[in-house]
Amino acid sequence: MTRKGLDGGSFKVLTEESISKVHRTAMQVIEEVGFEVQSDTALELFAGAGAIVDREKHLVRLNESKVKELVDVAPSEIRLCGQDEAHDVILGGRRVYAGTGGTALYVYNPTANQTRLASMEDLRCIAGLVDKLDNIHLFMLPTYPNELPVEQVDVNRFFAGLDNTTKHVMGGVYTLEGVKNVIRMAEIVAGSAQALRQRPLISMIACIISPLRIDKTYGDLLVTIARNGIPVACPAEPLCGATSPVTLAGNLVVQTVDSLMGVMLTQITNPGTPVILGSVATSTDLRNLRYLAGSIEMGLLNAAGAQMAQFYQLPFYATGGMTDSKTLDAQSGYESALTALLCALSGANFIHDAAGLMEFAMTVCYEKYVIDNEMLGMVMRAVDGIKVDDDTLAFDLIKQVGPGGNFVAARHTRRFMRGEHYQPTLSDRDSREDWEAGGRKTTWERAAEKVKELLANRRYSLPDATRQQVFAEIEDIVD
Amino acid sequence: MPEDIIGLIRENVIQGRITKDDEGMDEGMVGKPGVTELVEQALASDLPIQDIVTKGLSGGMEVVGQKFEAGEYFIPDMLASAEAVGVAMEILQPRLARSGIKTKGTIIVATVKDDLHDIGKNIVSILLRGAGYAVKDLGHNIDTQVIVDAVREERPQFLGLSALLTSTMARMADVIQILEENGLRDQVKIIVGGAPVSEEFAKSIGADGYGADGFQAVAVVEALASGTEN
Repeated sequence: MTRKGLDGGSFKVLTEESISKVHRTAMQVIEEVGFEVQSDTALELFAGAGAIVDREKHLVRLNESKVKELVDVAPSEIRLCGQDEAHDVILGGRRVYAGTGGTALYVYNPTANQTRLASMEDLRCIAGLVDKLDNIHLFMLPTYPNELPVEQVDVNRFFAGLDNTTKHVMGGVYTLEGVKNVIRMAEIVAGSAQALRQRPLISMIACIISPLRIDKTYGDLLVTIARNGIPVACPAEPLCGATSPVTLAGNLVVQTVDSLMGVMLTQITNPGTPVILGSVATSTDLRNLRYLAGSIEMGLLNAAGAQMAQFYQLPFYATGGMTDSKTLDAQSGYESALTALLCALSGANFIHDAAGLMEFAMTVCYEKYVIDNEMLGMVMRAVDGIKVDDDTLAFDLIKQVGPGGNFVAARHTRRFMRGEHYQPTLSDRDSREDWEAGGRKTTWERAAEKVKELLANRRYSLPDATRQQVFAEIEDIVD
Repeated sequence: MPEDIIGLIRENVIQGRITKDDEGMDEGMVGKPGVTELVEQALASDLPIQDIVTKGLSGGMEVVGQKFEAGEYFIPDMLASAEAVGVAMEILQPRLARSGIKTKGTIIVATVKDDLHDIGKNIVSILLRGAGYAVKDLGHNIDTQVIVDAVREERPQFLGLSALLTSTMARMADVIQILEENGLRDQVKIIVGGAPVSEEFAKSIGADGYGADGFQAVAVVEALASGTEN
């Protein structure tokens, strides 16, 4: 059984009072400090919506009631669709899903213990791999194809996704022309412009630049995406001590302000646009100002972010499940698992970056997708929690078995054993003898075997007619 | 359709359904006849007992064994199937004797004196019954003399001894020694098992076989049984 979309929320790092304080401080920042908007289009949209705008300083300020009015327009729940309906996800409330993330420049090969530049072929292979990994529910375009000029990147990245997996494809975008081409291509795949809006097979990401800034490129991109009615996440990436206060609460304020500004811009542009509040908040290594992808504080910040999103009744895009390790070692496992678990238990809707990423999110590793698939299966089991009813309390059974008895042969055991207990697909639970006889394989060695098997058994591809139409109507696609 | 009943017996062994009330493996089985009802139907229809046993019961267990090897079935699944076969064999027992079909024999099992562990021994019992043996389970913490007396009175083909503690495994040697002193050793094959027990230990105390787990225990008994017949 695959667990997805279950309600999290059993872990609450913030009390109701803390949520309220973060909110009040965020409102104070938006009203008193203001927000820089470098995109003229975006700035005029804010002005038209009643914000106090200082055009010279590109500064936008809004009072709390205006913020509330604009945020309330945003849907509290959005559906992201896969080409296969079984892969649809509904973000909102406390439902939890996990997916890949990006955008990495390198691919790590654990056998050679080396990295290399990522290519288009990596995107195709990883999409094909993720298509077969049940606990990775969404496919976010994970790598940057280094061999392509930037104007060809957007459309080729999304094509690689749509042509290799039936899961929903989300991705960052780089150029306005690219965004338009990607949307046209997705309309062809969906069947029509209307079909794409009804069943959005793709979604995009436009980043807010912490602290308190929407830059020209991303501002224009966000407006363009929203005008086209394509679901969009607008995450912010405040880094403790660098682009936000070093304190977690201060970081949370900046994160809340920044992402809310993005949400509001989409709603001013096109009310009702499916938008996702987002966080890539994390710590900084203050010895060298390095962005950290596996710190425990990142788990806390994104868990708290999920609570803030629930407070605003907005779908949430969290970041977790990564590591800063350079290899598939213990650090890689514990950092990935702890950060993903904190997000999931707090009810983060879409935990992105949750598979495959390492080394400050600069590198992906095929084997780590398989390892993280197992880790996410365990995380989702934890989200499922403990069901307590007469059947699971099992008084009658305990009475029947009695002192000194056993439950091995009980029908009750048979009925519940597979559902109550996560069944691993990668972890080693062999006896030492069997493990030795099997070649003493470590986790990543077993994962490498699975990668080979899964890649050999892929792959999904778009229907021929659709592919031909895409090639005929969209320029620059590399096949 | 007589063939159908045998096929259904086989299928219900695979499902691990003793009676119609058992839920089995797949959805929607509750209410349909289980192995008990089907065996009775088969007997009422005068189907050959040989077919019920080999095609129905053993045929089903063979598939269960494959599913277990493949990791699809867990121990509780295997036990459910073995239990179903055990119940069927009990129903068939009187007829088996009459029809002249050779039964697989009797095995007495016990956990030795001062040892209170019996999960492993109980699993072995279920599996042996599932393999078609008549099993008499004496229980746990059983006096050496009680075991010896049972062998004398019941004259089983096999004796299975279990111990889970290093402090109690020596009792197994006691049982074997006293059987020898009473001239009973040669009439019974003895297999031993339990976490601290090893192949080496089994040899050192003069046992005939050792099973590392329930499935190996059955395999060892089967091997000893065919050895006896040859």
